[in-house]
Amino acid sequence: MKFAKKVVCVALILAAVAGTVFAGGKQESGGSGDVDRIKGHGVLRVGVKSDVPGFGLQNPATGLYEGLEIELAKLIAQEIFGDPSKVAFTPVTAKTRGPLLDNGDIDLVIATFTVTEERKLTYNFSTTYYTDAVGMLVKKAAGISGLKDLGGKTIGVAQSATSRVAIKEAGDKIGVSFGFAEFATYPEIKAALDSGRVDVFSVDKSILAGYLDNETVILPEAFSPQEYGIASKKSNTELTSYIDGLIKKWLSDGTIAGLVSQFKL
Amino acid sequence: MSSGPFALWRWGRLFKDFPGFLEGFKITLLVSILALLLALILGIIFGLFSTSNKKILRAIARVYVEIFQNTPLVVQVFFVYNALPYVGVTLDVFSIGMLCVGIYHGAYVSEVVRAGISSIARGQMEAAKSQGFSYLQAMRWIILPQTLTIVLPPLANQAVNLIKNTSVMALVAGGDLMYRADSWASNGTLSYGPAYIITGVMYFILCFPLVSWARRHELRIKNRGTGSGPGGPGLVVPAKAGTTDHIHQGAAL
Repeated sequence: MKFAKKVVCVALILAAVAGTVFAGGKQESGGSGDVDRIKGHGVLRVGVKSDVPGFGLQNPATGLYEGLEIELAKLIAQEIFGDPSKVAFTPVTAKTRGPLLDNGDIDLVIATFTVTEERKLTYNFSTTYYTDAVGMLVKKAAGISGLKDLGGKTIGVAQSATSRVAIKEAGDKIGVSFGFAEFATYPEIKAALDSGRVDVFSVDKSILAGYLDNETVILPEAFSPQEYGIASKKSNTELTSYIDGLIKKWLSDGTIAGLVSQFKL
Repeated sequence: MSSGPFALWRWGRLFKDFPGFLEGFKITLLVSILALLLALILGIIFGLFSTSNKKILRAIARVYVEIFQNTPLVVQVFFVYNALPYVGVTLDVFSIGMLCVGIYHGAYVSEVVRAGISSIARGQMEAAKSQGFSYLQAMRWIILPQTLTIVLPPLANQAVNLIKNTSVMALVAGGDLMYRADSWASNGTLSYGPAYIITGVMYFILCFPLVSWARRHELRIKNRGTGSGPGGPGLVVPAKAGTTDHIHQGAAL
């Protein structure tokens, strides 16, 4: 009898545990698993640019992040936690943002990340929140007035940036060919431009503005629209549709337009 | 899996674009060979300086070794690439790779040579001199030949470190294997996984034979060394290899 009691006891405990697990599992698949997971972290982890004025800039005086993309991250935190300060910013470069997303260090990338067909194979993207174009920064003294003057010159671009493809296509159209040198960060490209290693610093216009100084000028030409989207990991499909819904809402209610004019973009 | 970083289609594209990797491999190989020659020449010259009985030569060798052992190769490369053009010295990336890597490892090679020479019994130099050999003659005919056998394994290890370190060229758009792989993976395909695996394999193919040769040669010396004569027990050259860690790209950024 005693033995039977024990068996019943164990069976009941097992049933209870199984029930909890099952209920838990059911809850997980109940619609917003990704968002719940972020809630579990207590903070939204976002990869942002730290050196792009107007989009993602870490203010050297205050150490705080500023820009359109920073505000978007705060708005998303407001939606998830009801508190815009629940964001942890990680500075990323064109090269590091993908891998950081892949290894789960960050939940979202809001970092002037251009949506391309190829990248869609690797990441989920939200609706475009801003459209930019690839531009060219050159030394005033170099006497370059446009793409047509670039035959045989070297163009400095960032690794992983879409500028290389965009500018090459533009060059092919007018029959001008040039060389490329790729660098890991924007300051390295600027250094290479200053020292005469490259003749052109080419990247999205919004980013170039941050590197303009007395000796350089941004050419009026621009190529191939760059559509910025918020990226998340391929497996986090729920998070993507959640973010996409928010962006669509903010596009239609004028929130994003307001931010664009606030940061003079 | 069809969308993951190691998806099959990425490998397919990699093999289609493989000639680009081979171009980079060629540059890496060529820079490695030239830098290795430079490192050997500098290493022998400064190794001899540091064992010389002339104080000024020892001092010159010391300065060279300390400067290049105590500053990162990445800093040296960036200095030559970005700073020297302001004083009118603009070298192409190939030369920068060859010179920087060669001079940097020359400092380590000179330490290997110095240790090798010091490990040859002092008595031999005196014996040679008593036989009428000049310092240089004794070096040329007695000391250096013995040194060579014992320093070969640590030199092979240095060569391996040198080959791996040529990848710093990638940081200044060097056109080498690492740069090609990075550039290929970055541009559109984002296939970092396959790109770095293949790149690692290609470096491995270059380095592994050297390392395993060094290991075999070391054993041979040890076994032979149980008798008398040069290379006997106790003639262990402190291997400088391994102190020059491969420079990780991320560390520089």
